[in-house]
Amino acid sequence: MLRYLIGRLLTTIPTLLLVSLSVFVLIRLVPGDPIALMLGDAADEATVRDIREAYGLEEPIYIQFGLWLLKAVSGDLGQSISNNAAVMPLILDRFQVSAAIVLIAVVVAAAISVPLGMVAAWRQNRLTDVLIIAGATLLLSLPSFWLGLLLLLLFGLKLGWVPVIGYVSFAEDWAAALAYIALPTLTLILIEIGVLTRMARASTVEVLRLEYITHARAKGVSEGAVLLRHALPNAFAPTWTLIGLVLGNLLGGIAVVETVFTLPGLGRLLVDAIFARDYPVIQGCMLFTAVIYVVVNLIVDLCYPLFDPRVMSE
Amino acid sequence: MTYAKGLTGFALALAVAGVAGAAQAETSVKVALNADIRSTYPGVNRDANTDGVVHHIVEGLVAFRENSEVAPLLAEKVDLSADGLTYSFTLRKGVKFHNGAPLTADDVLFTWSKYMDKDTKWRCFSDFSKGISKVANVAKKDDMTVTFTLEQPSALFLGQMARIDCGGTGILHKDSFAADGSFDKPVGTGPYKLAEWKKGEYVELEKFAGYSPRTEKRDGYAGERVAHIDKVRFVVIPDGSAAKAALLSGSVEVLPDLDVSHLKEMKAAKGVVVDTATTMGLSAFLLQTKDPVFADVRMRKALAHAIDMAAIVDAVTLGTAKPNHSPVPVVSAYYGKPQGEPVKYDPALAKKLAAEAGYKGEPIKMVTNKRYAASFDSAVFAQAMAKDAGINIELEVIEWATQLDMYLKGNYQMMSFLYSARLDPSLSFDMFSGPKETQPRKVWDNPEAQKLIEKSMAISDKAERQKLFDTLEGMFRADLPMLVLYNGSDIAAYSDKLEGYKSWMAGQPRLWGVKVKG
Repeated sequence: MLRYLIGRLLTTIPTLLLVSLSVFVLIRLVPGDPIALMLGDAADEATVRDIREAYGLEEPIYIQFGLWLLKAVSGDLGQSISNNAAVMPLILDRFQVSAAIVLIAVVVAAAISVPLGMVAAWRQNRLTDVLIIAGATLLLSLPSFWLGLLLLLLFGLKLGWVPVIGYVSFAEDWAAALAYIALPTLTLILIEIGVLTRMARASTVEVLRLEYITHARAKGVSEGAVLLRHALPNAFAPTWTLIGLVLGNLLGGIAVVETVFTLPGLGRLLVDAIFARDYPVIQGCMLFTAVIYVVVNLIVDLCYPLFDPRVMSE
Repeated sequence: MTYAKGLTGFALALAVAGVAGAAQAETSVKVALNADIRSTYPGVNRDANTDGVVHHIVEGLVAFRENSEVAPLLAEKVDLSADGLTYSFTLRKGVKFHNGAPLTADDVLFTWSKYMDKDTKWRCFSDFSKGISKVANVAKKDDMTVTFTLEQPSALFLGQMARIDCGGTGILHKDSFAADGSFDKPVGTGPYKLAEWKKGEYVELEKFAGYSPRTEKRDGYAGERVAHIDKVRFVVIPDGSAAKAALLSGSVEVLPDLDVSHLKEMKAAKGVVVDTATTMGLSAFLLQTKDPVFADVRMRKALAHAIDMAAIVDAVTLGTAKPNHSPVPVVSAYYGKPQGEPVKYDPALAKKLAAEAGYKGEPIKMVTNKRYAASFDSAVFAQAMAKDAGINIELEVIEWATQLDMYLKGNYQMMSFLYSARLDPSLSFDMFSGPKETQPRKVWDNPEAQKLIEKSMAISDKAERQKLFDTLEGMFRADLPMLVLYNGSDIAAYSDKLEGYKSWMAGQPRLWGVKVKG
């Protein structure tokens, strides 16, 4: 197990290096300049050049990358061009916001989706199945910004149950924090229920066709026991993989939801940085996202033997 | 005993009422910002949102009035020497910084030395270190008088000092800087002081109790700037629809830059007041005169006659802006008859001119973006109208940063573009005039016009300047390197619980002179 873990961690190093290099080069290939954006249309060529020089942007790209990488290894991701803040603390600060919402949303969505998907599979091609799948497909089809705005208009504006904009951290006031993250979390839950329910149903349908399930039923095992004791562990494994992917994906940024609900999260930080061509923040966010993705999927892989012991023996 | 108890009770009741009254008296207002500010250092690492917030905290020696004239702000008066080279700024007495220190000539010299340090990266460093407004010397005449001596007479110097993107050359106290000389936080003389900047979320300002106002009434960034609100919080709300919902739900009280697409709804909304003002920003179609199609002036004129510009302006601004085909803004004191001359919509003439220019329907690429909805909509309308006159425009919709890059490199055939406000006609002409060889962003490469623009920058006499601007107008219309559509509108929506909030030509929020009713 330890060898496996070390091996997996070592393989992430070239991945992260490649991500860093690609992001560093690609963002500079995209037209647009952070200093020109800062100065606007009134900027003259000489001023843009002078300020670019002051930010080290006139150096050859390989020198810029080398300097950035040297610092990044020691955990210093540089300073934001947009607001001069240190990138690493900025990312960690914003990640807390995204992580709180994403973790709650994914746990709740999984807790709802897995039983729903199993019930749908159990009642395959009957009214219950059709209703569940229709609902899941509908939720899956809704754009998150549209759903978010609808929820905001209904619960925030019409009913006035929750605040429309803003954010309070759990450390400041946990009750207020819950009120502020309620709608974005609900938006994510609804969207992810669509994805996870379909996966849970598909994998349960597969498992319910297997001979050992027929055998269990032939032995007279109750349907509840068949589903929970025999079908669930095997059916949950693919869903668990998907949960890992969803979690990694969402932790990397829920920019649209964060924008609609004015949450200062990681996704919005990245999107704002891209629009402002804030190179250090873009590079930092992308590297951080890659690390999160790798770590989450590593944890998912390490948990896999709990559901499917064959993985361990392999 | 009973009497004493009664008195004590009465005194207690009064005290409680007093405390309650004091608590009630504290007022706060939230203002929506579509993006976070970049810094709190005036004119350094800034954008329009940054300027808007910082101008509440700091003040310069001079400031712009609503009609774009320059008026004294921290200066009591400004005297110009007979040779037109030396400006003497006499400071107002009794002005205090947020830390309680009085404003003196030393503070002006100190701040100026910071701005003119290249490492500061002040937005306007190059405007005062070279060119028409180059400052040769700054000196302290006495504790309350500072002199600025220029290398040559300049009609623009005071306007440059007041420039909004220069942070109004806001005067800062030494406490604004850390021991190592780096900028820490602004300690200015403005009506509000910085309380907290929570990056990505909000900037909170507090009323400055020791503020010393001018006696003239509020006028642009000049005049009386008294804060009546205890706390102003600029809240970052990037999404326009969310910002609208926030105003309707009472989560914010002011939306300073309402998108025109929400105008009708906001006007009909209960408890919301909408106020509009014409700004000095300029919306135009830039034509690349180096391009083979637009090298012929007849083709540029053909396009001007092919597009019903008045109809476009009315449609995209919902009547909040008037058509203007001159580089001189409508609200400028120099906007006269030649500037107000309309451009005739005449598709038949357009076809004739295009044929004379040898145009055979080859596609013309117009670059636009969706960040500025009105700019995009104008491009769509123009495309349809030009088609009727046989001119084939294809739209290339790109992201703003990419478009700005193409603009700076002159790398386009035609572009729907928004110029930010220039508060003097010399600067309005200068923003698009110059040699393309060294300044590829410029659209009008006419050396004769450039000489006249430079001349207008050195002359202070208004009548003489007007003549120059009229001549330039004629030359501009003869060359037609861009089609000017209109000057923008500053549309603000705010809660009817506020009084005194007004939009104005600079398009920036002003929270002084604003009160919470009741």
